[in-house]
Amino acid sequence: MDFNWDVEQQTFRSTVRAFLAANLPSDWESLAHGPASESQAAFSKKFCTALAGTGLLVPHWPKRWGGRDADAWTSFILAEEMWEAGEPRGGQYMNVNWIGPTLMRFGSEDQQARYIPPMARGETIWCQGFSEPEAGSDLASLRTRAEKDGSVYRINGQKIWTSYAGHADTCFLLARTSAGKSGMSVFLLPMDTPGIIVRQIPSIIGEGDIHEVFFDNVEVPDSALLGTEGQAWEIARASLSLERVGIPRFALATRMLHRAVETLKRAGRFGHGAVESAAKARAACEAARFYSYGIVDQRRHGIATGPEASAARFATVMAERLVGEFAVEYVPEALSGGDPMLLAHHQRAIVAGIASGAAEIQLNLIATELLKLPREPR
Amino acid sequence: MDFRLTPDQDAVMSAIDKLARQFELKPTDFHGFALYGRELEKELEEGQYFDIALVPELGPLSAAMAVERLARSPYTAEIALSMLVRPQLSGEWPRPLALVENDRPGRFVATAKTILMIEGESIGIVQPGAKDVEAVDSLFAYPMGKLKAGVKTTPLSSAEAANIRKWLRIALAAEASGLLQAAIASTVEHLSLRKQFGRPLGTFQALRHRMAECAVLAGGVRWLALKAAGTADEGDAALAALHAQESATRIVYDVHQMFAAMGMTLEHPLHLWTYRLKALFSELGGRGGQAAAVAEHCFDAAA
Repeated sequence: MDFNWDVEQQTFRSTVRAFLAANLPSDWESLAHGPASESQAAFSKKFCTALAGTGLLVPHWPKRWGGRDADAWTSFILAEEMWEAGEPRGGQYMNVNWIGPTLMRFGSEDQQARYIPPMARGETIWCQGFSEPEAGSDLASLRTRAEKDGSVYRINGQKIWTSYAGHADTCFLLARTSAGKSGMSVFLLPMDTPGIIVRQIPSIIGEGDIHEVFFDNVEVPDSALLGTEGQAWEIARASLSLERVGIPRFALATRMLHRAVETLKRAGRFGHGAVESAAKARAACEAARFYSYGIVDQRRHGIATGPEASAARFATVMAERLVGEFAVEYVPEALSGGDPMLLAHHQRAIVAGIASGAAEIQLNLIATELLKLPREPR
Repeated sequence: MDFRLTPDQDAVMSAIDKLARQFELKPTDFHGFALYGRELEKELEEGQYFDIALVPELGPLSAAMAVERLARSPYTAEIALSMLVRPQLSGEWPRPLALVENDRPGRFVATAKTILMIEGESIGIVQPGAKDVEAVDSLFAYPMGKLKAGVKTTPLSSAEAANIRKWLRIALAAEASGLLQAAIASTVEHLSLRKQFGRPLGTFQALRHRMAECAVLAGGVRWLALKAAGTADEGDAALAALHAQESATRIVYDVHQMFAAMGMTLEHPLHLWTYRLKALFSELGGRGGQAAAVAEHCFDAAA
């Protein structure tokens, strides 16, 4: 057991930091407000193209698809540095982490040739069409239908909370092709297909982040089906396992906690109450970090990830909460124009237990799979 | 970063695990507060396990893992300070070790051969005579004792005191980690067997979620304790001790709530873990003390 970074890991982190220092504009912190805002979406495309140019967009992808087969630590160090900097990749982190690898595993040759190279070049934005008004945590109850009609599917229904939908080129869409859990399928749907209407939902969490997406007789060729009809559950599970570690939220949370403390120290306001709250939040961030590292280490050594991943996610949710609450209590001016980066962190922190699935679902998984408590009756 | 055990760590942990399994069950006729594991202590002495931190292939990280594993036993013995703090002292100091803070009763003080005494910022050390210490009755599930007034200690240098304080924090976190795991495991067993309203308590979501949160907290304590033992960093030690005391405060309440009246009896072993944890709540300045150390060691750099 070794808690130190090896030379290769340190070098890689330095490379990523140097890239960020050279490529983030001086007004980045005010731009970082709203990960899907017009200004950040435009910047993210330029940024990702540059990342791809230096081999830092998809280092963990296979060589065939523009990567260099780097290990799980490499992709996680990259993710940590990006998130800590305010995620200048915008929505493209999804392509890099799971959409690309999912297409590599389940996509047809045509789908792979069409969609993967633009992702590897950093040129394309995807959105994830999963949640619906009647299907949140209970995803299997989704209603959006895809009906086969000759060589096309006709899609009708509605998605909600869809991040990045306003800028997305393509949607990774979950739709029902028949009844039941085994009747769900995945479609790769170009967002400029006629019949798609995107409506932005005004929110606390930043400009352009969440949307409703309506599908009104949207026709796609059957070549848009990923894998086979009814394979969505298997594909979603595989995607989730690629994304199991989740976003390294603790990285930005730790940085913002330090910033809040510095602000307080400068103002002579870092008294006993603040010290204790800040220290507890700092410990929670560190616990979340090492929980996540534990999962990365398992992946690095080819060990199948179990319910510890749910524990890592929940530890991260707790850390985000403590840091977010600390900032609101002790540096409230951040929410009133005092510090755009602390504000941006607040907006991201408040969805930590909601985005990519309610944290309570993780608690259910921990209770059943980690603690082995008897299941709830259904 | 590489969290696989080395072959040496694996070997020593297998041996410790085998040893600990002999002390897994509370004797059914024991209805006391502290279950002192004299046999456990003897086996550890004979196997020279108290010195594993000094073995280059093992080091303090292996010692922390051993402390954690052994703390899961309902039996208690002075293990954590012997394994993690004693190897840091300059000179030869006999074990068992005990810590006295603010003249309060401390764990294992009545039987300690070496006592560390925290007096404000400084730490003194002394080998007490039999007349210098006395046992005291306590609700805590450690044998508690008191150092009599007037015993003179030799002060450690400030550098050594800082180092010892750091390892005391790591020892506390490693011990707490094992105790938390055992308390949670015992509670999970109870929730799986005990039925109310016709079904096991563990099927009720209100309890499942609380237990899951406890498990996440306890897992975090374990990571931070092992990391601090691995890095020997003062900030890491403070974070580990703080997270241990903070998490334990909540988890001890929750597991007792799950056990209800059964956990109040001396027939059930729950208190053998929770009342050891409660003894750790106040050590080294409690959460406020750890938080001050975190502020000193973790918040000095600009973000």
